[in-house]
Amino acid sequence: MKRKIILLTVFYLLLIAIWEGVAALKLWPSYLFPSPLGVLSSLVAGFQDNSFTIGILVSMKRVLIGYGLSVAGGLLIGLAIGRVKVLDETVGTIVLGFQALPSICWLPIALLWFGLSESAIVLVVVLGSLFAVTIGVDSGVKNVPPIYLRAARTMGAGGFDLYTKVIIPAAMPSIISGLKQGWSFAWRALMAGELLYVSIGLGHLLTMGRELNDISQIIAVMIIIIVIGITVDRFVFTKLENRVRERWGLLNA
Amino acid sequence: MSIAVRQPKNKRLIKGNQMHLETVKKLEVLKPDRVVDLRDAICPHPLNVIRDTIRALDDDAVLLAISDHEPTALENAPRFCERRGYPYRVIEQEGLWNIFIQKIEKKEARLRVENVSKVFSARDGKVSALSDINLTIRDGEFVSIVGSSGCGKSTLLNLIAGLDKPTSGRILADGKRVEGPGADRVVVFQEGALFPWLTVVENVEFGLKLRRVAHKIRRELAYDYLKLVGLDDKFHNSYIHQLSGGMKQRVALARALVMEPSILLMDEPFAALDIQTRESLQEELQRIWVESHKTIIFVTHNVEEAVILGDRVLVFTKNPGRIKSEHDIEVERPRKPGNPEVFLNTKWITDEIREDGEDAEAGIREAAG
Repeated sequence: MKRKIILLTVFYLLLIAIWEGVAALKLWPSYLFPSPLGVLSSLVAGFQDNSFTIGILVSMKRVLIGYGLSVAGGLLIGLAIGRVKVLDETVGTIVLGFQALPSICWLPIALLWFGLSESAIVLVVVLGSLFAVTIGVDSGVKNVPPIYLRAARTMGAGGFDLYTKVIIPAAMPSIISGLKQGWSFAWRALMAGELLYVSIGLGHLLTMGRELNDISQIIAVMIIIIVIGITVDRFVFTKLENRVRERWGLLNA
Repeated sequence: MSIAVRQPKNKRLIKGNQMHLETVKKLEVLKPDRVVDLRDAICPHPLNVIRDTIRALDDDAVLLAISDHEPTALENAPRFCERRGYPYRVIEQEGLWNIFIQKIEKKEARLRVENVSKVFSARDGKVSALSDINLTIRDGEFVSIVGSSGCGKSTLLNLIAGLDKPTSGRILADGKRVEGPGADRVVVFQEGALFPWLTVVENVEFGLKLRRVAHKIRRELAYDYLKLVGLDDKFHNSYIHQLSGGMKQRVALARALVMEPSILLMDEPFAALDIQTRESLQEELQRIWVESHKTIIFVTHNVEEAVILGDRVLVFTKNPGRIKSEHDIEVERPRKPGNPEVFLNTKWITDEIREDGEDAEAGIREAAG
């Protein structure tokens, strides 16, 4: 662990030093190749005038609403197609089809339906992540060993209990990977959507950076997007995943 | 004798199936024929004392059990009474539980299988898994079902459990027709039926939780039954993957027993264990059965195991699946694999099954030739 921290620190310091060195050579004009110090001051300035903070909050709100809807919808649809054969053979094909469609392709329709509004962006986020969550839930439910269901039924489980106490917990490892994938799709869909028009969020800050020829701001915002994406992935989903894997004995200790 | 208890037969002193508790100051209304004091009763279970005492009582007699063991009063004894149809009443007085139970024997067999057949549709036509099975199992009997694979023994167990429906015929458990699975007929499966997302204790509590038993009570019951099956305390909060095969089956047994099923169904529960573990579990199961006099149906392909465990061994044969013969095993318990009587019984039954196999093979040759 300690070795890893030292290794990473050295690596990144070296990377930044090389970057700074190349920038100092002034091979390209500074509006095409920023220096790390420029990016840092952009970051500081962005937080000082609150434009970054607002951007982060606006984007987070959108992704939470959109992702929340996806999780709810994905659980329901996933359970339905996982348990009911007819639905699997019909609705299941739609889910697979739409999963193949990049989420940003929903934007034109979203704009026609909702105009340049929050709803349009949220719709893109929902449609970007819904199918990943659905597929995770569906495959988890389909792979629940029948013996769990039989055992639960002989102990008197039926109806709703069978879902909440057996099927969902038994499908949890797969549900969590669906949730994790859904999250990263939601985050990407949001950024793509925000890039395309005035929307105040982080994606829009990227567009603004381009319009103002401020490459330091672009890189600063990119770093924020990466950090948020990784943080949620590591501290929410990977943690959750590890906990489930530990319970189930799937970790190779 | 008292007025309250002398009600028409089978009319419960407390109406309904809920485990009801009454706080009444006066006890004069109920006069017991026998009193047992459970205050010092230790595990495995004070209920065993009640069970054994009731067995010795006359029909219609009233037993008073005095207990400070809360789950016994609130959960186990009432459930035991409900199952057997005994009227009962639980009264709390000065921190003690007075459990009044009237013994009213039911005349119905515990389990009755009547003309049951089961046909499965396969790709190349229909397969008759069971053909015209008739079987009666009395209360407290330990019946082994033995046969080679594909003889329909597990199919029959599934039908009794209600996990599958017979093609024709009917199955009656405690006089009621089996229409689906129920906690009065819990199954212990071969392996892999414990829930990996729950700890050992949570697994055992699972069925009680479905019954909405209060957390404290079900926890205590779970501990009691884990002790009964001989699982070390230190594994109570382990996850399933941390247990050995033998421990897993102990937990599976506790999970079934805690439901106090009227019939315990066991589907080759020890088949995947190594010999030593299997033998120790066979011993344990005999001990539990002697203590509890549960009705057990035990399916196995191992003849010796069937002889060691069963009072009665049913030999199944295939194509179509039916009961070929029935053997009463009159060997003293606990029975062990080395016992000469066990050996002899095993040999007779094995020879019979072998003949049967040769007949079947000869039949196939004839048909082919």
